Amino acid sequence: MLETLDQTPFIHAVVTTGSFVIFAIGLVGVLSKKNLFKIFLSFSLMESALFLFFIGSHYARGKQAPIATDAFTLFDDRMVDPVPQAMILTTIVIGIAVLALALSFVVRYHRLSGHIRIDRMDELGDAS
Amino acid sequence: MNLKKTVRLQTLLSALMVSSLTIALLGVIVHIVPVQPTLGSHLLELNRAQTQSANAVTSVVTYFRGLDTLGEVTILFLSIFGIGIGIDRSDRMRTILHYDNSLLKIGARVLFPVMILFGAYIILHGHLSPGGGFQGGVVIASAFLLMFLAEGDAYDLDHRIMSLFEALSGAGFVLLGVLGVILGGVFLSNPLPLGRLGALFSGGAIGVIYLFVGLKVASEITLLIEYFIRTNDARDA
Repeated sequence: MLETLDQTPFIHAVVTTGSFVIFAIGLVGVLSKKNLFKIFLSFSLMESALFLFFIGSHYARGKQAPIATDAFTLFDDRMVDPVPQAMILTTIVIGIAVLALALSFVVRYHRLSGHIRIDRMDELGDAS
Repeated sequence: MNLKKTVRLQTLLSALMVSSLTIALLGVIVHIVPVQPTLGSHLLELNRAQTQSANAVTSVVTYFRGLDTLGEVTILFLSIFGIGIGIDRSDRMRTILHYDNSLLKIGARVLFPVMILFGAYIILHGHLSPGGGFQGGVVIASAFLLMFLAEGDAYDLDHRIMSLFEALSGAGFVLLGVLGVILGGVFLSNPLPLGRLGALFSGGAIGVIYLFVGLKVASEITLLIEYFIRTNDARDA
């Protein structure tokens, strides 16, 4: 019973389910929150779900991290694919840069109008 | 809570989207297949012969896909540049998050050089163990964040030195690429001797590129932290 839970497809299914649940939480936050700050943090949560899905779907049971150690001196098929990890490393840094720029825009908007609620935005003249 | 107000069209729409995503997810789970050997296994075979770097992720980031990393560092620079343009530089800037606590001050002074040393260790061993320029750079920036929290307005950051580090590390990355064109014929090819697998001076240009990336990330994240933590109080305006 426990051995079937330790196989690679089951772990892939768990990672897929969990990351889609986190993605859905972030999506609901983006669509239903009125606070700009919370909206951008929800975008960041959706990003984290994608990172988890990408890394987790390339996990394989019994394979090593692609780093040579004393026990694993050969780079062969006993190591996992290094390309997704390198890609996600790039994506995390770009995510931080975009989140920082967006939050600085939120700070600027607050200084301009005194609030950060999207349902009270009337800069384009369609005030309710 | 008013029930009539909480259930809105937007929430219904988001619930619909989430449920359709869940259906798509069920399809993914049913048709899941094991990952086939792809580009990564080919790169792992190339890694030992071409780079002598113990960390294959590092050699993908800085050698096989080095141009991507150059673009990524450029995006980070442009983002910090855009934030810096929007900041108004008046004299009323003050640290908005600051704890006046003597225990924190003494602890931060003791920990600051240790954290810088640990960040430098992570940067320099990026081709041997988990870690590298991005991770070590963020560790160094967190040392500066600790100083901002402990010292507040009394901690003065020299912007000329930070800009110098930022500019020189970015220029060094590009110059190393141009050196690769002159010596190897390809941008960002390896102009340095490869060394032996597992030694500190191994992997050729990989360690040098990650050193430049680490310095650039450290200075940029430090500037980013300063932009956010030291600002005008918006309620005064």
